[in-house]
Amino acid sequence: MLNIVTCFKWVIDEAYIKVGASRELDLEWADYKLSDYDRNAIEEAMRIADIEGGTVTAVTVGSSDATKGIKDALSRGPEKAIFINDPAFTDLEPSQTASLLAEVIASRLQYDLIICGEGSSDLYAQQVGPRLAELLDIPCIAFVSKLDIKERQVIAERKMEDGIEVVTAPLPALVTVLPDINSPRIPGLKDTLGAAKKSVISIGKEELTGMAKPHLETTAIEAATMERHCIKFNPDAEGIKQFVDALLKEGVMG
Amino acid sequence: MAGVWVLAENRDLTIELLNIGRDLADKVSARLTAFLPGDRDRGQEYIDCGADEVLVLPALNPEQTVDAYIPVIVDEGRREQPDIFLLSGTLRGRELAARIAARLDTGLCSQCTALNIDEKTGLLVMERLIFGGAGIQKVVCQTRPQMATIAPRTFEPARRQNREGKIRELPASPESAVKILERKPKDRAAGSITEAKVIICVGRGIEKQEDLALVNKLAAATGGEIGCTRPIAEELHWMPEDTCIGLSGKQVKPELYIGVGISGQIQHITGIRDAKVICAVNNDDQAPIFDAADYGIVGNLYEVLPELTRQLEKITNK
Repeated sequence: MLNIVTCFKWVIDEAYIKVGASRELDLEWADYKLSDYDRNAIEEAMRIADIEGGTVTAVTVGSSDATKGIKDALSRGPEKAIFINDPAFTDLEPSQTASLLAEVIASRLQYDLIICGEGSSDLYAQQVGPRLAELLDIPCIAFVSKLDIKERQVIAERKMEDGIEVVTAPLPALVTVLPDINSPRIPGLKDTLGAAKKSVISIGKEELTGMAKPHLETTAIEAATMERHCIKFNPDAEGIKQFVDALLKEGVMG
Repeated sequence: MAGVWVLAENRDLTIELLNIGRDLADKVSARLTAFLPGDRDRGQEYIDCGADEVLVLPALNPEQTVDAYIPVIVDEGRREQPDIFLLSGTLRGRELAARIAARLDTGLCSQCTALNIDEKTGLLVMERLIFGGAGIQKVVCQTRPQMATIAPRTFEPARRQNREGKIRELPASPESAVKILERKPKDRAAGSITEAKVIICVGRGIEKQEDLALVNKLAAATGGEIGCTRPIAEELHWMPEDTCIGLSGKQVKPELYIGVGISGQIQHITGIRDAKVICAVNNDDQAPIFDAADYGIVGNLYEVLPELTRQLEKITNK
């Protein structure tokens, strides 16, 4: 029986972000979503629990805006959720998120295996998983594309730039997973209704020792515009010739 | 005296970091220190490329992963108190950086695209992409060291000149809990899209796997490598994962990129934003890829590709 913890983040869906007149990001119309890679993390937690037997607890840090995210996460299979919830828990930097997760996981949960996504869809800093492992003082294996548990050892394949590395570490351990590790399920109506009945434990700021101070200070956020020519040609022989001429002029053909 | 540190997992990436590291070290009047895993013989080369000091990390036994170096680096960090610590943003480098930052209880700016020193405050101003590449975040770090990972090939390599410096060996690493069971090196024969001058990239606009033949012909005519968007590799398995271009895949910098049947989601565009010339072929003239492209052809790729290939072959055969 394994106690599996999976961490997730409720994030702004970047597909809805607009760019304002003076290059500022307009987030007013943005919708939220369960961070893409965290769907893989939850799916992998469920897969391992199915094979090895065990329970899956989903944990998140956020403000009450993330309530919908809890339901979304639970509709993907976990038995229960822990919601580290406070109005102050928005726009945190990775070190703060990791320290909140570490305090709650260490003090309230039994854990053998912690699974995180490789990064969040919004900040994609790829720090929370490895930092959490350090704060809990357990082995960390990041960027895993295949995961197995054998005799209380993690066996993981990591896809590195120079090839695949198969590594092992004793439980308890933390892994971060790549999107190609599995195909996350798409929850059905029954899953969504079932999620509403699952247990959610909410933990507020007053129940914690206090939030770690930030290290980083964001001095500006602006739209990432690309200066491109944006010239379109017709799909006929003449248009394609003009296209090819443009490439020759740029000097990028041979 | 304040210091700038650089750490990368191989020689080429170290030489890149030495270039930007030397620049920053000069601006804040600091010494530049480079880590050298394993091979002491390279020390003088790193000094010639800008390092004032080279710290040799003793070679690991074959079953150890690079995370075995963490305690040694952290001890040295506590003793020397560097001001700035840059790591190459390879996958291993990113994990290492986050874990070292946690132990040193400091901030880390992941995958910086630009680094500058603020003249007034002397702080390192770091820029990175957020929201899948839709936004640029500028951050400063109020604690020390100010840490950053930098994607490979963000900066030019340092040039070698005759310089003098110190080489110092660090203590051997204790065993780490993570052990390597097997390494499967990548087949070197296959071309790498991160180094390709020309990339033809395929997306969901391609209807059948057999139709990749059309793309192969275009790639042959341009001397390019073929990449793909995430769904082509992950959902359809038509192409290997390591040809997948985008924020969570490969970030590429070719001279010429031609996207075929690609709509242009922001995560994919982020992977190609440093291409010199971006082109697109798509039948939907509202596809976002055209906003990110220099030159586009709006039309059915099954009609456009054969004609484009024919015209390009004429030029390259001349």
